[in-house]
Amino acid sequence: MKNQSKEGIQDWQAMFAEWAEEAPEGPLKRYYQAGMIAPQTALKDTPLLALDLETTGLDPSQDEIISLGIIPLNNKTIRCQGAKYWMAKPERSLNAESVTIHEITHSELEEAPRLHAILDEILMALTHQVIVVHCVAIERQFLLEASMKIYGFPLYFPVLDTMDIERQATFKPWWQRFGRRPSLRLDACRQRYKLPRYKAHHALTDALSSAELLQAQISYHMDPNANISNYWV
Amino acid sequence: MDVELTEILEALCQHAPFNEIADDPQLNDMTKEIEIRYVRTGEWVIAPSAPNNTLFFIRSGAIEVLSKEDKLIRRMNEGELFGYYSLLRGGKSSQSMRTIEDSLLYCIPARWFLKLYEENDIFSDFFELAREVRLRVAMESQNSDVSLMTCPVVSLLRRPPISADISSSILNAAQIMAEHRVSSLLITDKDELIGIVTDRDLRTRAVAEGLAYDTPISDIMTRNPIVMDSGDYASEAVLKMMERNVHHIPIVKNGRPIGVVSTGDIIQKESHGSVYLISDIYKQTSIEGLQSISRKMTHTFTQLVLADANTQMIGNAMSHIGTAFVKRLLQLAEEKYGPPPVPYCFIALGSQAREEQTIKTDQDNALILSDKYNKKLHGEYFEALTDWVCNNLDKCGYDLCSGDIMASNPRWRQPLSVWKDNFSEWIQKPKAEALLRLSIFFDLRGVYGDKTLALQLNQHIRKEAQEHSGFLTFMARNANQRKPPLGFFRQFVLDGEGEQSRTFNLKERGIAPIIDIVRVHALACGSDKLNTLERIEDIEAAGLLPGGRAKDLTLALEMIGMIRIQHQREQIENGEEPNNHVNPENLSSFEKRNLRDAFHIVSRQQEFIKFRYAGKRS
Repeated sequence: MKNQSKEGIQDWQAMFAEWAEEAPEGPLKRYYQAGMIAPQTALKDTPLLALDLETTGLDPSQDEIISLGIIPLNNKTIRCQGAKYWMAKPERSLNAESVTIHEITHSELEEAPRLHAILDEILMALTHQVIVVHCVAIERQFLLEASMKIYGFPLYFPVLDTMDIERQATFKPWWQRFGRRPSLRLDACRQRYKLPRYKAHHALTDALSSAELLQAQISYHMDPNANISNYWV
Repeated sequence: MDVELTEILEALCQHAPFNEIADDPQLNDMTKEIEIRYVRTGEWVIAPSAPNNTLFFIRSGAIEVLSKEDKLIRRMNEGELFGYYSLLRGGKSSQSMRTIEDSLLYCIPARWFLKLYEENDIFSDFFELAREVRLRVAMESQNSDVSLMTCPVVSLLRRPPISADISSSILNAAQIMAEHRVSSLLITDKDELIGIVTDRDLRTRAVAEGLAYDTPISDIMTRNPIVMDSGDYASEAVLKMMERNVHHIPIVKNGRPIGVVSTGDIIQKESHGSVYLISDIYKQTSIEGLQSISRKMTHTFTQLVLADANTQMIGNAMSHIGTAFVKRLLQLAEEKYGPPPVPYCFIALGSQAREEQTIKTDQDNALILSDKYNKKLHGEYFEALTDWVCNNLDKCGYDLCSGDIMASNPRWRQPLSVWKDNFSEWIQKPKAEALLRLSIFFDLRGVYGDKTLALQLNQHIRKEAQEHSGFLTFMARNANQRKPPLGFFRQFVLDGEGEQSRTFNLKERGIAPIIDIVRVHALACGSDKLNTLERIEDIEAAGLLPGGRAKDLTLALEMIGMIRIQHQREQIENGEEPNNHVNPENLSSFEKRNLRDAFHIVSRQQEFIKFRYAGKRS
């Protein structure tokens, strides 16, 4: 299974070099200056970092990040040792609904620092890593918005999207389809690979969930020796 | 912010031994060092003879454990741990593990396993092999010369030490090791021991690091290695190896190295336990001597179970020990009553004949006499001989047979021709009830004396059985008498009264039915094997069962047998008399699942033989 790229290969290394010039002095510039792996890097040699965010809602322009979990991996193993977790106090107060979803209490968030106080540290952790998420549209967009607000310059990074990988792996032309299309929710994807069920909606657990899902997907559908440019988006 | 991988920690703490040490604050730190791997069906987790430095926790999926000979030892499911046996032996793995389902594995570093093992008694108790080693160190009563407790570490040395001078290069060192075929090398400076280099050091510190061949050996050696004195006990070496996670310990005498003890030397010493026991039996000249050995049998049994032996290996070892007792007693009897006037063969029946004995067995035996036997002349001799042997077997822990199937019973002490006539009668004119009692005679093995008598009788039985299919119909019907307690998973259909009312009999309702089924097929295909697993191989080769079904029987026997053996070991440990009554409440969910599967197999196969050997209806 390979990512069908539209205009040749996507060269995040070159893009990072460009942004390193343009970004304002500070943590974000240092993040881009640290660079990105070359597109010819084999998947098995790619430093990967699974990431998940919990937010106050689904609209990146309005809602805010309240927690973030990361866990490093490669094509063979997930290393708990590098797992990290942050909570961030939102600018606006939480509504009751999102509290029930996240299992994070008001008082926990009340004591947490603001996102701008920890984003530097988060950037350090993301440095030089290809990010693994389930549904790129959400996580990348939220971090982009946060970065615009805090640094006045976009944060953008290469992603392996387990949802997109699953979509391609389960894709069948309409004439071969039977009944409903397979669900692409994280939990449903995991069940396809007989992975255990986890409680959802904790940023670190969800990061772990997508890390495990990616390992299963690699072992079934992907070539560890293929260039990372075949897969990243 | 402190990271808590709650999902992982909670999963671990749902299962033993972590559920019992969930309050240990170290667990959270351990969790942080876990690595997670997704392994697809059919891939090796620990490949044959590969070293292992990880404790594996099956988060989801299943694996199978294979012996060196590639035989299935057991299967493990979600929530179970594996790999610890090799960690306790310094990373050497005698078994291999392969996934049989897509599996998610938590890999716990050896360091953490050994740390918890050392610091937390609840944790280490769970890993019973080690407990046994500790127990032995604590116990001073063992005085057998094979015990690690009493054998000095020097007795394990197999050769003088191989050493190299400190000035050597990595290349020199490797060449010396290759030449002498050793896995460790002592490094000396003017004959003084200053370091040690092992295979593993060469691999991880030299080759993996890409060091040049001419790098001095001193760069990769372990300086000031742990040493032991030649007067120390071997058991102390075991403990030290486990504590420090080293595989080699140099032994010194007056400060000079005289050899190296490796984990391999110790394992080798240990696994011969039952062999030594047998050679000990043959050295005894008195009943008292034999009795004292018989008291060590529970220990040998426990030892085998803890060493992860499968039921086949244990059955084999226990049967050979049983046979050794019989032979030695007969030798002593012949010394006492003189040489036999006519040839005879002492035969074992039932489990001993099948080489499937366990710890607690009655004696089942008989005697075949040569046709030269004349009751008036020789009757008294054989009566005295067999009485003496059977009574002394009883003293050695092999209880007298309640059904009186023993060589001391004149009915079961007959010339070959009478035996042949008996069998012809049983086979040609089968009576269901009589055959039920007699089935034990269809597992018959000569153990002492003129074994050709037993061979001739077995040939006769095979021939008769194949010629009289009606007989198989009766045997098949009898094999359907004892049903596995399938209902127990729903409504606890249990046996017995009083203390045993909450239990069921694993032997009667699980193992015996399988043996019965297999015996019928074995008689049908004329197999000359006695051991149930060997019979199954013959049955499979003869194509009596549809594809894969023969293997099912092997699996079911192993599953039920393993649970029975573990049950008996626990009873011995608790100072109880071992029996076959298992309380389902004491089984883990995994064991219950296995038992249920095994019972289903037995039940289906019982149905099958009923139909297969239905015979003609008139």
